[in-house]
Amino acid sequence: MTQPSPLAAARRRSELGLVLMAAGICAVGYVLASFGKNATMPATIVPFLVALLAMLIAANVATRFLARGADATLLPIAVLLHGIGYVMIARLSDRRAALQTTWSFIAVVAFVATLLLVQRPPDLARYKWTFLFLGAGALMAPLVPGLGTSVGGARIWVSIGPIHIQPGEFAKIALALFFAAYLADTRELIAAGTRKLGPLRIPEMRYLLPITGAWAFAVAVMVAEKDLGSALLFFTLFTVMMWVATERAVFLVLGVLLFAIAAYIAWRLFPVVRLRVDLWRNPWIQYEGKGYQPAQAMYAFANGGVGGTGLGLGSPNKIPAASTDYVYAAIGEEMGLVGATAIIIAFLLLLGAGLRIAVRAERAFEKLLATGLTTIIAMQAFIIIGGVLRLIPLTGITLPFVSYGGSSLLSNYVLLAILLRISDSGARQRGDVPDELTISERLEARRLRRATPGAQPGEQVDA
Amino acid sequence: MNGQIRKLVAGLLVLYVLLFAALNFTQVVRKDALNEDPKNNRQTIRDFNRPRGEIVTADGVVVAQSVASVGDDQYKYQRTYPSGDLFSGVTGYYTYAFGSTQLERTQSDVLMGDTPSQKVQSVFGGSVNTGKVQLTLRADVQQAAADALGTHEGSVVVMDPTTGAIIAMVSYPRYDANAVATHDTKQAEDVLNFLGAYPGKPLLNNAYQENYMPGSSFKIITTGIALEDGVATLDRTWPNETEWVPPQTNDPIQNYSGHVCGGAMAEVFYRSCNIPFAQLASELGPEKMSNGVRAWGIGEKVPIDLPGAASSSFCGNVSPCDASFFTRQLPLLAIGGFGQGNTLMVPLQMCMVASTVANGGRMMKPYVVDATLDHGGKVLQRSSPTVWKTPIGAGTAATLNTLMVGVVNKGTGKPMQLANGVQAAAKTGTAQLNATGQPQRSHAWIVGFAPAAAPRYAIAVMLKGTTDEISAGTGGRLAGPIAKQVLDFLFVSEQQ
Repeated sequence: MTQPSPLAAARRRSELGLVLMAAGICAVGYVLASFGKNATMPATIVPFLVALLAMLIAANVATRFLARGADATLLPIAVLLHGIGYVMIARLSDRRAALQTTWSFIAVVAFVATLLLVQRPPDLARYKWTFLFLGAGALMAPLVPGLGTSVGGARIWVSIGPIHIQPGEFAKIALALFFAAYLADTRELIAAGTRKLGPLRIPEMRYLLPITGAWAFAVAVMVAEKDLGSALLFFTLFTVMMWVATERAVFLVLGVLLFAIAAYIAWRLFPVVRLRVDLWRNPWIQYEGKGYQPAQAMYAFANGGVGGTGLGLGSPNKIPAASTDYVYAAIGEEMGLVGATAIIIAFLLLLGAGLRIAVRAERAFEKLLATGLTTIIAMQAFIIIGGVLRLIPLTGITLPFVSYGGSSLLSNYVLLAILLRISDSGARQRGDVPDELTISERLEARRLRRATPGAQPGEQVDA
Repeated sequence: MNGQIRKLVAGLLVLYVLLFAALNFTQVVRKDALNEDPKNNRQTIRDFNRPRGEIVTADGVVVAQSVASVGDDQYKYQRTYPSGDLFSGVTGYYTYAFGSTQLERTQSDVLMGDTPSQKVQSVFGGSVNTGKVQLTLRADVQQAAADALGTHEGSVVVMDPTTGAIIAMVSYPRYDANAVATHDTKQAEDVLNFLGAYPGKPLLNNAYQENYMPGSSFKIITTGIALEDGVATLDRTWPNETEWVPPQTNDPIQNYSGHVCGGAMAEVFYRSCNIPFAQLASELGPEKMSNGVRAWGIGEKVPIDLPGAASSSFCGNVSPCDASFFTRQLPLLAIGGFGQGNTLMVPLQMCMVASTVANGGRMMKPYVVDATLDHGGKVLQRSSPTVWKTPIGAGTAATLNTLMVGVVNKGTGKPMQLANGVQAAAKTGTAQLNATGQPQRSHAWIVGFAPAAAPRYAIAVMLKGTTDEISAGTGGRLAGPIAKQVLDFLFVSEQQ
């Protein structure tokens, strides 16, 4: 049934090869960390290797059947980041490692499920309003009394029994989907701008309203939840998508201006923001308090130096949030400049691959969605790495694929699956790989054949 | 839209280049500044999770080592000192929260394997590259010196006069570094506070980190300067007198206990008369005396390879110590001639003074580290004997040698006559600390060497005048037997 495609086969082969290399690096890291910490082989090495290989082969098999034309580098880079993060988490806390293992399984299942459910990208565009409301609902959920919980000053958690979820991690995908779909439809109308205001042409308000409204709402909610990192992320996402969709630099300028004003107001109004700025300039002013963590992160990087202390040989446990917000400092300490640079390069490759998918996509929706999703990953990594390195004031947010946290891991694998889907779709449209029927389309065709007497077997039926 | 996406790639690339720059700034440029930040204890934590090499005596006894921590210790290695308090004054301590002292501080890089050559080697060799510090001190002599000193406050130093190698160096009161090296920070702090407040400064090695009035043992130096100058010769005689009034005062100088004392050079030296040496110092004058003592290294830090060494002084705490100080203080110069007044000597330096006489006038640099070795036993650095000062010529040294033999055979140093006919040479000192009318307080000293003909060991014994027992006696009677006990041990142990 499936037509052979040398290009698709080669892509999946390289993907498998690269994924196994990434897995090898992680396995060696896992063993070294155990030797560094306890001078013994890790007791859990066999289950670790079995689980690692099972998950990776499952992911590769899924892409072979469900997205065989997709880019071969995205999954291996994600696996490398995920694996290095897991090694760090396992080295920091056995309890968290066990939980992260469970979440890794769930994330891979979600990856496969996304590829299975979303077989044609336009399927997603159809549900843009649903995604808007899902995203808005998810964002507001932590504010509901009895449901939301506050951790470390930010009210971004939802507790259902023993499970704690950060719905914001999923909201970012839903809102990116909405922005992409809405802008794909209206981008020309917005860009055209029929009204004049001095030298500027202003778009019709009715086209602009839904999207600016959705964005303003998202940012307002996140400020209410004191989740400044996510607010910054959404701001960037919205600005970038408007700019790319309309091809008008005025939106970029406007975005930067609005950001500057918002940042100034936040600095004037919220003591939290002022504290963050003060600690960014000098964490040692509150070394006994809130400055302890950023100062310890600085010490961690210095202790690592170029070569790092070696896995299991540093003291990253001195940083309270070493496995979440500050995981990059833990990597910098034990793997040194070399390892920390590798993480930066991995994210660069990831964003390069993601935006290449966007450039090569044929349809506006797919282009915008790939741009939006890649921007989320790239900016999220920049915001937290820059914050930990004190390049910018710190705003707590997870490092995609690397940090400890189920919601983050799960949402990033779903995001990855959608990117792969867009890549596969682009390859089919360009004719790089044969554009065959998807599984659901085949099922539909069979149903139609049965319902249509006289149809010949093998005949193409337009589903 | 592709144009914008490409610009987006460029923009994000710029942001990531900034990240890389910030990473380099923190991890490379500011590395040392951050690592040396006093609030940063990561280096210490790292060190406490690595093994650390041994400190071993010349006769192969391990006096400092790292052993695997027992129980649920937060660090992997525990520093222990198998000899208890015996070597703490040389090894120092190595603590988690309170730094380190003595060799644990100065030889830390060697012990941790952090010297450049050890680091290069560890790239090719195994993961453990700790170094070893080999001492010049002998554990048996150190024990014998500690036994001889007992619980008298003071110190004993034994050195090889020809090389400067320290063979034993004990002081009392002292402390056990094990009590401070515990990883229980609270306990270590309590112990350090207790020791810091304890009278007699047990945390300091009194043998080289403190100075005391030397009394008549200083006459070796005065005589040395006078012999070099020519104002003193073996032929010169002094009349029998009880007192002498120096210039600029009406207050006479007396001999010890107001005795009548005089005679030829050799006699006034072995009887330890005070007046002849006060007169010698006065005749030499401020210029020659201050230059003379400087030639003996007085006024400079004792150049031992241990941290925190004290310096001896001819002017007390007055600085600068030169002729101008004594020009208006001629009585002070006179009593300085027999080691009273403002004269302060480090016990180790008095041992070096005896060594200078024993070594033909050459004062060797003292050292406790014989060699440092890497993990494979290869020598990283070996100490070579160096001449520090040459205050007197060989002739003067020979004359002083004869004078000091007289002290042991006929004079105040008789208690230091050694077993089996080994000829020793010495000079005693009893430093009067109290002003007239106050309770008697005096330090007891003896410095010397043996065998006199071909000296192999120099010794300095100093007992602090903090008790009535010590203050009631003299250097010869109190310190002499201690020096004899240690030297007898050395010569007897060789015959076996």
